[in-house]
Amino acid sequence: MPAHDVLVIGAGLAGMRAALEAARAGVDVAMLSKVQPLRSHSAAAQGGINAALGEDDSWETHAFDTAKGSDYLGDQDAIEILCKEAPADIIELERMGTVFSRREDGRIAQRPFGGAGFPRTCYVADITGQAILHVVWEQLIGADVRSYEEWFALSLIVDDGVCRGAVALNMRTGDVMPIQAKTTVMATGGLGRVYHPTTNGFICTGDGTSLAYRIGVPLMDMEFVQFHPTSLKESGVLITEGARGEGAYLLNSLGERFMSKYAPEKIELASRDVVSRAEQTEIDEGRGVDGCVLLDLRHLGAARIKERLPQIRELALDLANTDVIEEPLQVRPGMHYQMGGIKTDIEGATTIRGLYAAGECACVSVHGANRLGGNSLLETVVFGRRAGAAASQYAREASNVTVPETVVQRDLDQIQELFSRSDQGENAAAIRRELGETMRSNVGIFRTGEQLQSACDTIGELKKRYARLKVRHTGEVFNTELLSAIELGFSLDLAEAMAASALAREESRGAHTRRDFPERDDANWLKHTVAYWTPDGPQLEYAPVNIIRWQPERRVY
Amino acid sequence: MSYAFFPGCDVPRKSTPELYVSAVGLCQKLGIELEELEYAPCTGSGMIQSKDQALGDTFNASTLAMAELTEKPLMTICSTCQGVISQANARFKEEPDYLGEINKTLQEGGLEYKGTTEVKHLLWVLTEDFGLDRLRSMVVRPLKDLRIAPFYGCYLLRPSAILGYAENPARASALEDLIGALGGTAVDFRGKKLCCGYPIVSDNERNANAMIANHTLEAKEKGADVMVTPCPLCHMNLDGAQPAAADQKGTRIGLPVLHLSQMVGLAVGMDASGLGFERHTVSTKDVVARV
Amino acid sequence: MRINLKVSRYDPQSDGDAHYQTYSLDLPHDATVLDALIQAHGYIDGSLALRYSCRSAVCGSCAMRIDGQARLGCKTKVVDLVHQEGQEVLVEPIGNMPTIKDLVADMESFWGKVRQVQPWLHPAGPEPEREYLVPHATMLDLAGAMNCIMCGACVSDCTVLEVDPDFVAPAALAKAYRFVGDPRDQADGDRLRALTEYGGVWDCTRCNMCVEVCQKGVAPMDRILALRRKAIEDGFQDHIAARHVIEFEEQQRKASWMGV
Repeated sequence: MPAHDVLVIGAGLAGMRAALEAARAGVDVAMLSKVQPLRSHSAAAQGGINAALGEDDSWETHAFDTAKGSDYLGDQDAIEILCKEAPADIIELERMGTVFSRREDGRIAQRPFGGAGFPRTCYVADITGQAILHVVWEQLIGADVRSYEEWFALSLIVDDGVCRGAVALNMRTGDVMPIQAKTTVMATGGLGRVYHPTTNGFICTGDGTSLAYRIGVPLMDMEFVQFHPTSLKESGVLITEGARGEGAYLLNSLGERFMSKYAPEKIELASRDVVSRAEQTEIDEGRGVDGCVLLDLRHLGAARIKERLPQIRELALDLANTDVIEEPLQVRPGMHYQMGGIKTDIEGATTIRGLYAAGECACVSVHGANRLGGNSLLETVVFGRRAGAAASQYAREASNVTVPETVVQRDLDQIQELFSRSDQGENAAAIRRELGETMRSNVGIFRTGEQLQSACDTIGELKKRYARLKVRHTGEVFNTELLSAIELGFSLDLAEAMAASALAREESRGAHTRRDFPERDDANWLKHTVAYWTPDGPQLEYAPVNIIRWQPERRVY
Repeated sequence: MSYAFFPGCDVPRKSTPELYVSAVGLCQKLGIELEELEYAPCTGSGMIQSKDQALGDTFNASTLAMAELTEKPLMTICSTCQGVISQANARFKEEPDYLGEINKTLQEGGLEYKGTTEVKHLLWVLTEDFGLDRLRSMVVRPLKDLRIAPFYGCYLLRPSAILGYAENPARASALEDLIGALGGTAVDFRGKKLCCGYPIVSDNERNANAMIANHTLEAKEKGADVMVTPCPLCHMNLDGAQPAAADQKGTRIGLPVLHLSQMVGLAVGMDASGLGFERHTVSTKDVVARV
Repeated sequence: MRINLKVSRYDPQSDGDAHYQTYSLDLPHDATVLDALIQAHGYIDGSLALRYSCRSAVCGSCAMRIDGQARLGCKTKVVDLVHQEGQEVLVEPIGNMPTIKDLVADMESFWGKVRQVQPWLHPAGPEPEREYLVPHATMLDLAGAMNCIMCGACVSDCTVLEVDPDFVAPAALAKAYRFVGDPRDQADGDRLRALTEYGGVWDCTRCNMCVEVCQKGVAPMDRILALRRKAIEDGFQDHIAARHVIEFEEQQRKASWMGV
């Protein structure tokens, strides 16, 4: 039975950064991922990564921007760490070989991003996530770190209240086996596929978040979901905020830069929740174009677009038949990021010993009710590193416990169940589609109690249908039908927690906007929602927010 | 129809002289006027470019400039020439500053390339400018008993973006269409658009032989009596090195390979003895007899 | 638009060889080949195995041979392939690699070759106080090579790899260029030495196939030629191909009437 000191589940940026840190700490670390690491969705991040590198900038300003951006729900101790440690982490990435775009003097260039008081977003043209992901992967090859690639984590092993690794399925052979570890770091990224449409890739089904949830780890702030202001209409694919950072305008059907009404100072570079709400309002009030608004880059000129934004030009040409050099691009808000996730402390530790989490699947919370652009890539690196370090430290001190082979039985039984049910006509793709549309309509940018209740009810119905789902293909080699079905189960659990948390929060804050409770209510609601899994659905509790330097203020851009 | 003519380097005149002879003869027969660029240098064929990109570009700029002076499009008779010159031409359009630098050297020799020359292989001159219908009407020996395997040559095909395939999609099947217009049957086989291995024939004979054997044997398997190619470098490999390739493979091949101009020449009634078949390595006797 | 998607099927657990299965699909006008496959997989035949994730040409999962040429499924529009209703579109796994199942190729040899070129930065000397100071133009050039998403299309269709499995192949070579061209990497000597051995830059047959099939603008063969030039410049000339090139270049230079 394979055994390691540290097992990192998920090999995107957070996971690989954690693994790299563990390798440097000299412990026996292995990564496990259902896709080859470079296929992770970190590669799709485009615009940049934040750090207060400039002489006229400061980590305090960055931290304030982040706290304000979070609508004061972010824990300020975590935010301080994020922003204080950012410069060193960026420099380290550069030294690893990241091909950051440069200023005239050869220093790392930075562009303005939404909600930021200073241009502090470092970038590699518009392929920043891809570039950084590849560099960290290169470092892991150099460090010869073991990885279980195309292995699917089915469940976490808990023995005597301590997490001891995971039960995983080898996608090539169908073998199910336990992979023991003294510590496990969960870094499985986001859950965008709970929604339709989403900017997220098909693999973003929230696996790790759900795995932790199912063993009793609380999920925090699940109601806070970010809708990115500029996603393509048909495909939902992301168009980076960097376009607005380079100076692009958002226009309505009247050709107006409507953001000046909603954010007189920052205009297009207001915080994402503000921009998405504004766009949706323009569309709902009849000033949209084909259900979208227009992103206009024409005035940037061909040279600048080709140099700074080549990838999005390709995407717009391929997926929207639009050359952004010549015409404005139709965009609309699309579900993009989960601010909430597995509750962790500032070292990445969860409430269960031996289990850590980092990256989008975790909630420290640095982003609170809304995330600033460029802070997610940053979070993966800063907290990936910290979780890797903390997990290694724990592993050194932890004792060896062997788990029995029988830990795989429950997962084997579940798989058998999926295979051997009678066919009652349910189809995973159809259930997933309905889930996605319910979430978009009823747990979307603007929410009402009625809609949220309806979402909870629908999810309940979908879960019943899911319980009747049969997997027809029973092969052992690369059984994608089986894995899609298991992923759907993860997504349904998370949707349930998200809708319930949203229904309970009777205020508007950050990305959670209630038409029936349109004001922010610090007196009653300056607290984190904490959801625990029970067989009867999520049980909600609340946790305080760490407010240190900045007291909540009226939030305007 | 009048063209500036780039015959290529030593290859079409010395190594495969049957190409030069048959191409010039064919154009004469068809009434295509050729103004030969006597001093045009070798394109570099990718070899010079493996050491000094700018030198290769300078040579090609001079050829393009000489053609430009004639105010006619530039015709090539070699896939590799076509490709390398087109790549240089595209580079000059993309980077006018670079062309400016290159022109400084050209100016020392009294030349300047302004970027207007169009480069067209004989194959496309026939299928596009001369026209397949007109060609069809000139066929006196239809190639009706021949199953002909077309082998394009990499440099005529890729990168497609700089070889006019978007503007002229018919180029993708130009050889097959030409074979059809001459009354022959084109044989479809996967290798027709792959590599013959010429660029590595002296550096990695084993791999080159393997490629030659693969493509000729596949063509034969699909029923080909003969292969035709618009590139003399491909010809040198597919024909000249065919015995070595057969040896390495441990089997007989014996597939005759024609130059494009020989095939067309035969069909439009040129005297076989003037087309240089005796220069081939793999005997073309049977094929020529059948036509 | 209606198409017939003809997909290569192979199941290692059955005794059969690879065979084709055709799915008749009704697709929206702007559908990609990946969209078509996802539709087939989700609604018709769950046994179809394939890899996909981002659908925006950045993760590299969905490389496959479409109508005989390696491409990204998500970056290939059906409407560009099909000219009449009911036309067939052929989809096969990428080439030069064994198949695990259906469209899932075994990329072990691919990753092995990438690892072979030691694809991590080898900095030399003391670390600078902050970031290395490098010119923006250099970073832009490398970002072009960094555009590579390791999808395997170039390796799939490499004509040399087809006859010689020891060729390091385009992706690994383009990756090597990214380091040789990086002023922060000091291992140029070792890298170029390794790259000019058997299976390296001199074994490319310059067929441009990798440039043609790469949909991310990496142009691997251009990078291979750049490596050749650097190798010769830095004195790594101990290879028959390098000597041929040097000889040929000198010959042509001397024969030229221009003052070159």
